[in-house]
Amino acid sequence: MLRPALAWVIALMFFFPIFWMVLTSFKTDADAVKPEFLFMFTPTLDNYLNMTDNYDYWRFASNSIITSVFATIFTLFVGVPAAYAMAFDPSRHTKDILVWMLSTKMLPAAAVLYPMTFLTKNFLGIFDTHFLVVLVLSLINLPIIIWMLFTYFKEIPKEIIEAAKMDGTTAWSEIRHIVLPLAWGGLASTALLCFIFCWNEAYWTVRLTTIDAATLSKLIEGNRAPEGLFFGRLSAVSTAAVGPIVVLGWFCQKQLVRGLTFGAVK
Amino acid sequence: MSNRAIPRILQAPAVILLLVWMLVPLGMTIFFSLIRYVLNSLRRPEWTSPSLENWRGLGNYEYVLYQAKDFWLAVQNSLFIITSVISITVLLGLAIAVLINRAFPGRGIVRVLLISPFFIMPDVNAVLWTNMILDPVLGLNGLAVEGLNQIITSMHDIPIIGHFFSLWPKIEPISFRATQTSAIAVIVMVAWQWTPFAVLIFMTSLQSEDQQQKEAAILDGANSWAQFCYLTVPHLARPIAIVVMIQAIFHLSLYAEIEIVSRGNGNKNLPYLIGEFASNNIGAASATGILAVILANLIAIFLLRIIGKSLMD
Repeated sequence: MLRPALAWVIALMFFFPIFWMVLTSFKTDADAVKPEFLFMFTPTLDNYLNMTDNYDYWRFASNSIITSVFATIFTLFVGVPAAYAMAFDPSRHTKDILVWMLSTKMLPAAAVLYPMTFLTKNFLGIFDTHFLVVLVLSLINLPIIIWMLFTYFKEIPKEIIEAAKMDGTTAWSEIRHIVLPLAWGGLASTALLCFIFCWNEAYWTVRLTTIDAATLSKLIEGNRAPEGLFFGRLSAVSTAAVGPIVVLGWFCQKQLVRGLTFGAVK
Repeated sequence: MSNRAIPRILQAPAVILLLVWMLVPLGMTIFFSLIRYVLNSLRRPEWTSPSLENWRGLGNYEYVLYQAKDFWLAVQNSLFIITSVISITVLLGLAIAVLINRAFPGRGIVRVLLISPFFIMPDVNAVLWTNMILDPVLGLNGLAVEGLNQIITSMHDIPIIGHFFSLWPKIEPISFRATQTSAIAVIVMVAWQWTPFAVLIFMTSLQSEDQQQKEAAILDGANSWAQFCYLTVPHLARPIAIVVMIQAIFHLSLYAEIEIVSRGNGNKNLPYLIGEFASNNIGAASATGILAVILANLIAIFLLRIIGKSLMD
């Protein structure tokens, strides 16, 4: 009896800050800082309704959506063939290539920040464009996505593929009729996870954009030292920024484990 | 696929993209770290554009390592934060995972509640904690301490123990923006976010634990602690190693939390330091960047050597 109770207490403790944020978003700014109104207060939807006026929410949100969606599509577009080739036709170097891809993620982003700014501003002129953000988001997530797809593809029994080959299917129909249906779940959850990572990316999206392609990360980062005590509004826009992702995350816990442990823990 | 070329073609885009992504910016950073390059200079305007004529060799590295006072502080702080976060998340994660391993009503919801912090954007995480929870005046921190003070003051009136309480000074809430404590604030925030990750991984791994071995151990008279030490922990050795490695990778580039909590006031880490330098002295920023890359690679090689081979089966 003690165990479940303890588990609930811990879970609620961990969830509490999020709960607190959502709760505060329903208070007015004035109420949010008064201790009397901790739990008993008159809720208001003003913070949410005024989000566009206060923060220009929809512009940032649409940028987040656009860049995350396209980055996910591009990552899958590049990653699926690569993972497919590695899973079904491994060469001696496949494992080395996979480890090398992982190592590209270990590059501290700050080290290459200035060259990136320099390149994209002065040479390529793509600073602050959706194209650049999409490209960078894809490159950041490519290693993990390829690893995840690799582990999913590897689970398809070789016998099925070999049987299909002996039946004389072409590579393309092999993919369409056998691999895709079997790996569909894995593909979908990988895509979901990629979307989440792109959405939460807060380093490159902030430094490589100013106005046009700025995402929600930049909005939050710009409000980090609220001028005045606008906790109510801040909570509302924060909830709106992270809410969809938290809910999405609830649906792909398993893929998270698999992806972030490179398939080693299933 | 009998044709050797097809797999190569399929892998090519990914490999080429990542190769370019790795080499081009890194190459440029190396170049910048070896020349004098600043963004604004009144004395030497020729330093404001990158060119080979401003070659400085290892001068920037000398500057960063020996003369700028912040570098070693930043490295120390980075390592402090990383090791603290990893220790907390692993230990706490283990404890919680073992705790909720047995099925009980509402376990699904517990899992969902527990995992939520991981999906929050780092910026929101930092803003939430700094302003609404840890703020010494307006946040829960301040309110809690206020409440505590009020309780203590009200206890002054109790006949005997009152004396004892009246000796207590008024408690001041800790301001987490101060130099000594801001690192702790960062550790708390990041640990809050990543412990759920550790819990999830350990929980998943615990489900594949060998129950028969456990029953045999119980029959032999092993108590819970012995079971934990000799059966569970070795089984979890690999997930623990993975959690440590992944966190080390991610936490080396911690940025948002550091910036938001204290603007780097006495609490810097390497990425923040690079950003600081980059506001003017690109040469130094690049040199620090290369040093950070070296550090990251050292850690990675070290960890991969321990763990890497076991990941590959």
